[in-house]
Amino acid sequence: MSRAANRATIAALMTRARNEILRVPGAAIPGVLAPTIFFLGLNGVFGNLIQLRGFNADNYLSFIVPVSMLQGAGFTGAATGVNLARDIEGGWFDRLMASPAPRWVLLAGMALSASARALIPAALVLVVALALGASFPGVLGLLVAALLVMGMAATAAFWGMMLALRYRSQSAAPLMQAGMFLLVLLTPAYAPIALLQGWLHAIATVNPVTKVLDAMRQGFLGGVTWSDTWPGLVAIAALMFVLGAAALRGMNRFSARA
Amino acid sequence: MPAIEVEGMERSFGELHAVAGVDLEVADGEIYGFLGPNGAGKTTMVRMLTTLLLPTAGRATVAGHDVVAEAAEVRRSIGVALQEAALDPLMTGRELIRLQATLHGIPKAEGERRADALLERVDLAGAADRRVGNYSGGMQRRLDLAAALVHGPSVLFLDEPTTGLDPVSRKTIWEEVEKLNGEGTTVFLTTQYLEEADQLADRVGIIDNGRIVAEDTPAALKAQVGRPHLELSIAGEAGEGVNAVFERFGKPLPSRDGKVLVELEHGAAQVAPVVVALEEAGITVESLELVEPTLDDVFVARTGYHLEAEEQEAESAEAHS
Amino acid sequence: MRANLRVIRALGVRSVRQTFRRPQLMAPIIVFPTLLLAVQTGGAAAALDLPGFPPVDSFLQFMLAGAMMQSVLLAGNSGGIALAVDIEMGFTDRLFAAPISRYAIVLGRLMGTAALGAFAGLWFLLIGVIFGAPIEDGVPGALLALVLVVLTSMAMGGIGASIALRTGSASVVQGLFPFVFVILFLSSAFFPQELMVEPAKTIATVNPLSFIAEGVRRPIIGGESAGDVAAALAAIAGIGLIALWLARGALRHRLRTGG
Repeated sequence: MSRAANRATIAALMTRARNEILRVPGAAIPGVLAPTIFFLGLNGVFGNLIQLRGFNADNYLSFIVPVSMLQGAGFTGAATGVNLARDIEGGWFDRLMASPAPRWVLLAGMALSASARALIPAALVLVVALALGASFPGVLGLLVAALLVMGMAATAAFWGMMLALRYRSQSAAPLMQAGMFLLVLLTPAYAPIALLQGWLHAIATVNPVTKVLDAMRQGFLGGVTWSDTWPGLVAIAALMFVLGAAALRGMNRFSARA
Repeated sequence: MPAIEVEGMERSFGELHAVAGVDLEVADGEIYGFLGPNGAGKTTMVRMLTTLLLPTAGRATVAGHDVVAEAAEVRRSIGVALQEAALDPLMTGRELIRLQATLHGIPKAEGERRADALLERVDLAGAADRRVGNYSGGMQRRLDLAAALVHGPSVLFLDEPTTGLDPVSRKTIWEEVEKLNGEGTTVFLTTQYLEEADQLADRVGIIDNGRIVAEDTPAALKAQVGRPHLELSIAGEAGEGVNAVFERFGKPLPSRDGKVLVELEHGAAQVAPVVVALEEAGITVESLELVEPTLDDVFVARTGYHLEAEEQEAESAEAHS
Repeated sequence: MRANLRVIRALGVRSVRQTFRRPQLMAPIIVFPTLLLAVQTGGAAAALDLPGFPPVDSFLQFMLAGAMMQSVLLAGNSGGIALAVDIEMGFTDRLFAAPISRYAIVLGRLMGTAALGAFAGLWFLLIGVIFGAPIEDGVPGALLALVLVVLTSMAMGGIGASIALRTGSASVVQGLFPFVFVILFLSSAFFPQELMVEPAKTIATVNPLSFIAEGVRRPIIGGESAGDVAAALAAIAGIGLIALWLARGALRHRLRTGG
């Protein structure tokens, strides 16, 4: 298929995903509100941790805003996987697979729609956080955050789609959501890495999302530097590559089984 | 070059052999009907030919391309309307056809033009901007069919296109399929309705348990199991005179339910002559019925059981009249 | 009366069997809170160093009650969903048309929720023992915590059931879950309420779920328990009464409008 045709297909898939939110009143609300609610709850419960020595932040709100933004991205991406599972169950997916559109184009369309959608809950968390006194991350910090949120959403979408293609059923939804939920929380989410308990400290040290979180936190805790940014970019790119490849493989092998 | 060529196609799911070795050929411009009961392997076969499922053995070409090695080319040439009308209830009919056009790389303006034309053709122009979720079953099938045509495919696959539809909708789909075929599109359709295969198909392949048990034109298949017979109610007693007349036109059959039966050597054309001959012999005919062998008779002959339940036969009889 | 008890038992057995027969539905109720427990314990363990933190052996010991409360909420929610599915399928119509008490029908459904609550309670008590959070009050303490958990799951299940009866829709019941979760956050389930940040702190002070969490926590972390347990029981009773009142309204509405 030509480049123009591929672009048009990706745009059409993104439009369809957008319609799902716009045309079903209230469908998007849980996904958009949940990260903000979790953010408020988290702050209300653990806010006083900031008093501990070792916290290099003076504001717990600023510390956890990126966590909630990433969670929103994870949730949005997982929802893309759930939607694909529903489309597979309902037969819609057959239409896409029987068409000459290349598989990677189908994947890209769905992942990009997740990336775009994830900006909405992220923006809401940010606005609420700023209203409550979190520090403004600066334009550069904002840009880095937006980029990483979109990358995280695409990662989560690939994960969700991979599971959808494997299990072909919406009952895999909890696995899609739990996987991303864990990925974001097995990091210095609640507290700086030095204050984490042994086993969590070990996991957070090797978890690529830790790098993503650190890069996102920069603007909120201080200034943005390249040396603190590039590890996050590399980490999210690696995650996208690995899970994207797995999802593509799943799509190519989809017709081998019923 | 045949539109579809299948050689030794097999598909197993663990222990289940859904398609257990099928060979067939569909000529360009033909309507081929794949007839069989539920679970016979029809849908599995269609899914393999439309590149949605890989065969476990054998090979097939559609529009000159191998379904496994050249799947992308196959997809460019085929139109597909599957059993589960693959529709999105939140989209409008027009949006669906335009999406299908995009999937086939048709530029926006051209896609819009074709959508308008197709919606007009399947009589959905009025409902084009309503959401598919509000369409009736018949409307959804028509939309599915229209979408399958947006890129002008040379081969059209229809998996049970009228299952679950009322007789009127069924007729509409049949007419559309015939028109398409008239324009040169090869049609491969699966069905569990004898009627549908009989009416539409140039050739019918009867499939049971993953294998083809009979394949020919509907007429030839039916001729294999017998000829039409005439059932007559006559005034008064049936005597020697009746048989004498009958023997001139075919074979007298045992009477049933107070009627006299004769198998006609040369079919329906002999109905009038038989009646005339009886009148000349002084025998009055009160009512008559011409009974043709059906594809179900063919099916029973090959497999030992009926294709359709009696209930469905009555339904088809209704649609036929 | 005897007939009603038999009905409760029969429906109860059915709902318990339903719950445990589909582990993939049960798993999120146990697995999710366990994961959250692990992450929160690992992540916020340093909280013990905060001045004013109650005397505990480990953060896990403190958090166990929170995890159990989460399971209880999820169990109540899933009981509500199960009832809503029954209603959608028409199964409850069959029951309502029979000469048995409607409350017996709901109570039967809640037996499944209670069983789930018991299972969750046992699970976390076991986790505590394995991962170094012993139950200070020993076996009697564990039993006490378990009883409180089971009663709470039934009370929460009652609320879920009322919503199911009122709306007849499983997706509505499911959609309400996040809000209940928020209410749990605004309690002392996960953190000592004195150390919480305003306005969450004030809300936690009056939140009935806080009283229940404290009641469940007491036998685990040890110390004078009578007052906390009494408060917990009162809170459970309160929620139960609200659930009863809601259920009554919902049942009457259902009978009057047939749907």
